[in-house]
Amino acid sequence: MGGVAVLAGGLSSIAQSAGPTKEVRLVAGPGRARVVPSPHPETAIWAYNGTAPGPEIRVRQGERLRVAVENRLQEETTIHWHGVRVPNAMDGVPHLTQKPIAPGESFTYEFTVPDAGTYWYHPHQRSLEQVERGLCGALVVEEPEPLQVDRDVTWVLDDWRLLKDASISGDFGNRMDAGMSGRIGNTVTVNGRVRETFGVRAGERIRLRLVNAANARIFGLEFEGHRVQIVALDGQPVEPHAPEGGRIVLGPAMRADLVIDMTGAPGARFRVMDTFYQDLEYRLLDLAYADAPLRERPLEAPLALPGNPLPEPDVGAAARHEVTFDGGMMSGMMGGMMQGMGRGHVWAVNGVSASGHVMDPMFALPQGQSCILALHNNTAWHHPIHLHGHSCRVISRNGEPTRHREWQDTVLMAPRERAEIAFVADNPGDWMLHCHILEHQAAGMMGVIRVEPPGTRT
Amino acid sequence: MQGLLSATHDARKDTQMLRLISALGLLLMAIAGANAAEPARKATLYKSPQCSCCEEYAKYLRGNGFEVKVVATHDLALIRRDNGVPTAVEGCHTMLLGDRVIEGHVPVSAINLLLEKHPQVRGISLPGMPQGSPGMTGRKTAPFTIYSFGDGSHKVFATD
Repeated sequence: MGGVAVLAGGLSSIAQSAGPTKEVRLVAGPGRARVVPSPHPETAIWAYNGTAPGPEIRVRQGERLRVAVENRLQEETTIHWHGVRVPNAMDGVPHLTQKPIAPGESFTYEFTVPDAGTYWYHPHQRSLEQVERGLCGALVVEEPEPLQVDRDVTWVLDDWRLLKDASISGDFGNRMDAGMSGRIGNTVTVNGRVRETFGVRAGERIRLRLVNAANARIFGLEFEGHRVQIVALDGQPVEPHAPEGGRIVLGPAMRADLVIDMTGAPGARFRVMDTFYQDLEYRLLDLAYADAPLRERPLEAPLALPGNPLPEPDVGAAARHEVTFDGGMMSGMMGGMMQGMGRGHVWAVNGVSASGHVMDPMFALPQGQSCILALHNNTAWHHPIHLHGHSCRVISRNGEPTRHREWQDTVLMAPRERAEIAFVADNPGDWMLHCHILEHQAAGMMGVIRVEPPGTRT
Repeated sequence: MQGLLSATHDARKDTQMLRLISALGLLLMAIAGANAAEPARKATLYKSPQCSCCEEYAKYLRGNGFEVKVVATHDLALIRRDNGVPTAVEGCHTMLLGDRVIEGHVPVSAINLLLEKHPQVRGISLPGMPQGSPGMTGRKTAPFTIYSFGDGSHKVFATD
């Protein structure tokens, strides 16, 4: 947590805030980082407080968080608090929820964090370049009673498209990246560096918070030789369960909290593999056991996390809206695009290819209304669909009820997949619904939904 | 409270990036080296791991006497950059045929024209993924314009 100024916890003057306020200062600006080891040179990056990822912000559930952001970039920026149910004005979407922070200017975000869990922060302004150059960081909201583990560890997973001199390839907005799987890099890092090992001890129980901060890479992690339990997805508790097929799949912007008991022998090594893309599987790093065990047998404490104060949608009485996603290569749309349109807009939500964050809402929901969104991925590509301001239960996929009815803020959809998500539209304002493959978002794959407070409906 | 992992890095070990970059470099060198001795109809096609039409294109070429090795990669943008494919004429995959570059769903007739009549041209492209082109589904609605490139520029090479 180096670099975060914690100025202590006096009571906030804001009326609804009962708990203490945590103060954090983030400076967005150019930096240098040793992404790949010597003999490669350092990499010029954009960073929060000089590091990529930026400082891990830790706050307790129900606390108020006040973050003063200073922009030392040469361009405008904002910060979006991904997955945190913040008031609309704190959501960090340029022009839609705030004026972007100009170079040399500052902006203070302040909100109460309602839900415990693993979240993250990143710019929403030209995010395809700003996030890719290193602007991202984990935001951990601690439960009042923490899960009983030996270590609580965060892995911010990211990838970089580096040239041979270890500099970041400048081909942002590449049209083929935009129309296909997004900008997938050639260098995968855990907490900002290429890693060989992660040290563990026999008998240790680790809560591992995974954050996928990559623009476009989907991770599919397998912990060889270990029984992994998923205890939270996108910050929200889920019934503890083993990942399907032994693989934790995380699309861009998604998070998973794992509990892993280190059941290997002292001195042993086990591979952590990323097997998501066929024929491109690779070893992320090794779990490297120390020679001395921590204890004979792992802890036997319960794994279930207490629930967050999320309103339960009334599925039977919910308003239903269809949201279709179209476009991209192999869709028929792209050939036409290539012949003439050439504006780089190759994706559409409900028939509209967005050219900016400010747009007419696809539909409006009265505040407090339960809502089902039926999402249709009509494309040949994966899309992690992110809804701002709310967490949603994923209630079905391809017409089949989901086993865990998991709460998510980012729903990974396979090619041609359909999913239904349910939530209570309890947070007033205009909220983005977009693909979190940032190249897809920039190429039109975003829309807005409106939640209207009582009395504003016309 | 670990934000960072313990940095137990051994710089002598090949890292993932080194592996990726050197594998790419070696591969390109191997292809360039092999070219002198082997027939020009032996090709390596680089494609996104999630794109299916490229496999169909490879089948089409094999049916026309080419020997095609398909390699999935996330590095198409870098391969194009290293092989002089201008951004304006990018196709959905990149194929190296000796020291020639075939970008996208280029019909065999154009490849043969390149090999037989234009020894000085670095490569040719059918940009995007036009419907009805070799390996693509759908119906061809208009003639395809194939571009040649080299030295960073591109111009019309043929129509098909």
